[in-house]
Amino acid sequence: MNLRKITLYFGLALIMTSCYSVRFQVANGQWEPADTEREDSYAGYNVHTLDTIVTRKLTTGSHYFNITKCPSEALHTVEYRATFGGILLNAVTFGRKKKVKIKYVCIKENSLM
Amino acid sequence: MATTKIDIRTRWDTLHKNGPFPLKKFLTTRLEKDATGLSDFEKYTDVALEIQQLIQQAANTHECFRAIGSKWSMSNIAHCADRMHFNSFMNLKFPIFEGEMHQDATYKHSNLYWLQCGNQIKEVSRFLEHRGKSLKTSGASNGQTIAGCISTGVHGSTIDVGSVQDYVVGLNLITGPNPEDIVYLERKTKPALRDTYIQNFKARIIRDDEIFNAALVGLGSMGFIHGVVIEAENLFLLHRYVKKIDKDEALQLADSLDFSNYDPKIPGTDFKGVRPFHYKVFMNPYNTNEKEYAVEFIYKIKYYENYKADFGNPIPFQKEFIYLDLIYLFIKIAEKLPKAIPKLIKMLKSSILPKEEKTTVGKLSEIFWDAGFQGRAFACSFGVDHRNSSKALELLAKLTRDHPVPGIFAMRFIKQSKATLAFSKFPFTCMVEIDGIQWDDKEKLISLKDYSTKMIEVLKNNNIPFTIHWGKNADWDFPNLVNHMYGNKAKKWEKVRSTLLSVPMQEVFSNNFLDSTELSKPLAPDDGLIV
Repeated sequence: MNLRKITLYFGLALIMTSCYSVRFQVANGQWEPADTEREDSYAGYNVHTLDTIVTRKLTTGSHYFNITKCPSEALHTVEYRATFGGILLNAVTFGRKKKVKIKYVCIKENSLM
Repeated sequence: MATTKIDIRTRWDTLHKNGPFPLKKFLTTRLEKDATGLSDFEKYTDVALEIQQLIQQAANTHECFRAIGSKWSMSNIAHCADRMHFNSFMNLKFPIFEGEMHQDATYKHSNLYWLQCGNQIKEVSRFLEHRGKSLKTSGASNGQTIAGCISTGVHGSTIDVGSVQDYVVGLNLITGPNPEDIVYLERKTKPALRDTYIQNFKARIIRDDEIFNAALVGLGSMGFIHGVVIEAENLFLLHRYVKKIDKDEALQLADSLDFSNYDPKIPGTDFKGVRPFHYKVFMNPYNTNEKEYAVEFIYKIKYYENYKADFGNPIPFQKEFIYLDLIYLFIKIAEKLPKAIPKLIKMLKSSILPKEEKTTVGKLSEIFWDAGFQGRAFACSFGVDHRNSSKALELLAKLTRDHPVPGIFAMRFIKQSKATLAFSKFPFTCMVEIDGIQWDDKEKLISLKDYSTKMIEVLKNNNIPFTIHWGKNADWDFPNLVNHMYGNKAKKWEKVRSTLLSVPMQEVFSNNFLDSTELSKPLAPDDGLIV
């Protein structure tokens, strides 16, 4: 019984701690604005989300994503989110499948002049 | 050609969720792409034609058309129910060269910049800093567009500088769909730009102090502000320090703005007798036992390259600083108190504003940096003559104790503006402001509308002349309010509006806010004014 509880608590702790997000942003860049009804720290920002599963093929080396939705061709913010499910998927597929969940905000066009 | 995306909507809201308000169409205009090879002047005049078409469409359907910036205003000043125009992507910037100056100009050409309406304070600062320049002042943060700032009178607490509109020296308005409706305004007594340069923008020139001053704080109703010419200055640094000082001393400094014998005793400095660039007093209205007030002193010092080596990185990451802006401070205090608003207010009675006492040195853009969304907020802000500041604060704080709302007070100070409807109308205006979180009827507190009515009444009943921040919450329907605050100046403003805008255009550029404030009544053009 005790062992079950310990396992349960350990599992919960593992799930909780493996779910986190990290945000990087440039300090002096102008974010691309948007008129939305968001009520979080991205209110007023034009946020793009990428939520996908990447499958690595044997012939593929390191993979990357082309971000094409930034008219300014520059990034203001990138937020990477790790989830327990994502880590588990990576583990059980021996790294072949990766869950990718990122948010990004572009630099506003014409603001880098 | 510039392009406009039209979204069909049912509602719109401010950044701080002070609505929602009904809306039919939301328009977003983007400039012609670089790849077309158009010059910036061509892109600018091209998008002006696009805006004129949008104005014509609104007029054809008898609908209102209103430009918005970053929607930071908490009043409904930015709202119109038919067509709202998001102009943030109209952000071209033009430095002014020596040969482009008016022959009688007294400005240094290197300090002048023509900025398109959608430029936000943060990007303007970056643009200027790359040229060794700085804005003279900004609000407590940096997200507003330049046109939005001047339309509502955005200010900081720069005692001897003023508000954002006070360093604007030229205005480019689009007042209708015809070629002659693109106008460039500047003061006759302080011309800035040469006529041949202004012709690049295909604008009709009006040099007239009265018209310029009225259009400067135009409440979004003097036409579409397409561009502004600002006067910047050389880069400078700000030395910021927040400390608790004796309450009576803080109020005496507010009432007198006399720092000639005052020593702020900031570690490692000697600012004795120096008038600060910025002075701000924070106050919890519920704790009457507090002997000290938190005060923000900011001093202007000479810029040098390696200041970060001496003082560290000034960018105020949120955990290190508490006194960023008033709403942020309140949220930080409220985090430690019960969530239920009546309990929170009860706890505020024994809460002491926290200490900070950290030196920060940075450029204007670094000291007044990003202020993220803090939740559904309200803010009421009254301008009084600084000599009445302690009296007004005490009256409004007492009112707040009698009719509690979840917020705290601050006082900021601004130099007089020349703009006709600037709320900084006193020689030195003290803005007494309360910021806090929104509440609802379930909390059994006074409503925001009734609270703001009582604020007006208490100042009127005590014969304290006042103004109200155009972009903040207030009882804008209060009878005869604008006339009480501005008297004959309101009439002058209306007259100039009728001179710049035809009667149909006055209707296009009106909204409920203008109706509430009794400034929207269309007037026929007056031949007595010079255009």
